[in-house]
Amino acid sequence: MISEFSTIKGNSSKYLALLAGFGVLLALGAFSFLYVEINGHGATNMTNQVVWGLPHVFAISLLVMASGALNLASMATVFGAKQYKIFRRFSAFLAIALLAGGLAVLVLDLGRPDRMLLTMIHMNFKSMFTWNVFLYSGFVVLCFLYLWSMFQHERYVKLAGSAAFAGRVILTTGTGSIFGVIHAREVFHSAITGPTFVAVSITSGTAMCIMLLVATFHYTGRKLDKSLIHGLRNVLIFFTLLVFYLLVVEKFTKFYSPAFYDVESWILTGPYAPLYWIGVLGMGIALPLAILFNPGMGNSIKGIMWACGAAIIGEVSFVAHVLLAGQSYPFNMFPGWEMSSAFLDGQVAAYSPGILELMLGVGGIGIAGLIYLIGIRFFRLLPQKAEAPEGWKPWSP
Amino acid sequence: MAWIRFLGALLAVFMTIAPLVSNADAHGDAKHDRGTIGEKCIKDTDWMRRNHMNMLMEKRHVTVREGVRVPAESLLNCKTCHTSREKFCDKCHSYVGVQPDCFECHNYPK
Amino acid sequence: MNMDRRSVLGLGGVVAASAMIAPGIHLIAAPERTEASGQSRWAMLVDVNKCDSDCTACTTACRQENNVPTFDDPQRDIHWIRKVELKDKKGKRPSVSLPVLCNHCEHPPCVDVCPTEASFIRKDGIVLVDKHRCIGCRYCMIACPYKARSLVYHATELSENGNADVPIRGKGVVEKCTFCVHLVDQGKKPACVDACQKDGNGAMIFGDLNDGQSEISKRVHEIRTQTMRADLGLNPAVHYQGL
Repeated sequence: MISEFSTIKGNSSKYLALLAGFGVLLALGAFSFLYVEINGHGATNMTNQVVWGLPHVFAISLLVMASGALNLASMATVFGAKQYKIFRRFSAFLAIALLAGGLAVLVLDLGRPDRMLLTMIHMNFKSMFTWNVFLYSGFVVLCFLYLWSMFQHERYVKLAGSAAFAGRVILTTGTGSIFGVIHAREVFHSAITGPTFVAVSITSGTAMCIMLLVATFHYTGRKLDKSLIHGLRNVLIFFTLLVFYLLVVEKFTKFYSPAFYDVESWILTGPYAPLYWIGVLGMGIALPLAILFNPGMGNSIKGIMWACGAAIIGEVSFVAHVLLAGQSYPFNMFPGWEMSSAFLDGQVAAYSPGILELMLGVGGIGIAGLIYLIGIRFFRLLPQKAEAPEGWKPWSP
Repeated sequence: MAWIRFLGALLAVFMTIAPLVSNADAHGDAKHDRGTIGEKCIKDTDWMRRNHMNMLMEKRHVTVREGVRVPAESLLNCKTCHTSREKFCDKCHSYVGVQPDCFECHNYPK
Repeated sequence: MNMDRRSVLGLGGVVAASAMIAPGIHLIAAPERTEASGQSRWAMLVDVNKCDSDCTACTTACRQENNVPTFDDPQRDIHWIRKVELKDKKGKRPSVSLPVLCNHCEHPPCVDVCPTEASFIRKDGIVLVDKHRCIGCRYCMIACPYKARSLVYHATELSENGNADVPIRGKGVVEKCTFCVHLVDQGKKPACVDACQKDGNGAMIFGDLNDGQSEISKRVHEIRTQTMRADLGLNPAVHYQGL
């Protein structure tokens, strides 16, 4: 068993270049954090209308993707898809790496990050944020236990893996509920927001897993059975369709109620409509499905990689759309009246992300990338070769 | 043995003067210029020296969250007796290296 | 106060003795001690018909009383109270002008979402931000349906003619209308209400809704008033009359 997994050598110039590249991203993030910490949030482009900006888009995208990255391991451990057993370690570790990146951005964008520990001292259990403090740290612990049992105690794998799976479903529901429970905002408030986040997490997490597996195996010269990637492609197809279904149900429900005509038509035609149509629906759903259902491209690794890239862009667009459109749509405090004031009431908020916000966001990617690269260098996370079991053949277009 | 007696006398003189001299520096009583008026604060001076930080935190909590207000003990009243924030607060705080940020928001002129 | 208990437990007899002498000082210097009471429910009533669109007495008084700065940046300016102009969407009713401020809800969503309990509701119904505890996560700004909250984007200083009795702002924390809690605790009215009655048109009144004898209690229970977004079930303390 031990010989099945190995670390990478990690002495090629490409590996060092990648390390340096992610290091630069991390440095950009660190600079942005310190600059904003000293000069205040006035240095960013966030406003009193859009209080969560680009850093939160990065952070929440990474957090959502993190829980989705665990899906590959869960399929093997919880759902008995034995062919993916060799990827369990990779999947659980990637989940931790992405989560750390996202969480760092979220925490470093606080107005008073120096008071972070207050969240541990004073807890309000009615707040989704307090729950998320537990869910995020709990998820990391569960993933560690899962990894530990995979490395040392195979008999606990089923237990730890199932716990981690339950944890990730609750975690992403919790992340979605940050928005879903907010009654005040018409774009946010929906019971289906949480489940949609779960579905989106699986598409983006699976896409990230496929891309990283293909790239890592390619650059380390390890053999990767194409049919395993085809199997993951089918997972991606299934969950992309699920996201589409959930989005349609939400739109259908909201459009049924005249109270939501205004806001829903605004979503489909307003300033954030391109993000919705091109980003969420085009890149996130139409393009991946078109590629993956195509007998030519859907079976080629290159085509699958493109679809995965589109799916990740779709996920980021989905998060950005929920966040930015949700905050930009004006409050309707006096139905039937048009509001105007010095506090920009009744106006769609204007927001264009600033460079410091972008830097902080890519800092999170830097952290996630570094953890992954260092992880595969020092831990035996990757199989020396990945082959599908004999006689196992996934469906193909 | 005259020199021993001389040394003894010198020591006695030194021991009398030394506390006065050193008091003038850091540990002086209220008589010295530490920017204060009056005999003692809302509690005993020694007690305040040791516990003012805890007391202020406690007061902050009950005032902000429970609305407990005792005007004579209000933070706004510190400055009526401790006339110089620089001499009274900052001097010692910078000596021991703590940086309370109370007066970034609360008004207490230097 | 807990201090006495704490000192007896923690600091030994000598200090305890001095602490026991200390209350004598209290008796001479400060007989007065007030506390927020669960019997009260502070509330505001705005008579929209009396509010004039040119009048900014309330907002000006608020900025003066609470040292609320302006940054000449409408996107990031702090507003504790603001004048809102309402135009009928169908153009049939005459336009209306009214002040909008924190509604000090009975079930405040900002308090529900705050992870550190920095946003809290006092016994007397005033919703406050404990700025010593706020970590600046802005979740409350997402949750408030009245846009009553502002993040402090820039550091500020006390202006020359500022009010030294009220703290200035901490950078990176969220703040909002306090119902002038420092005045209410002294038995006074909030600065905006005071200014409206003195310099404005007397559109705003303030008082204890639980006190059957108060003017606000009589009017809110006798005249048809309404609150903003009543559908959310938050039970705001700011009532509007004549809308």
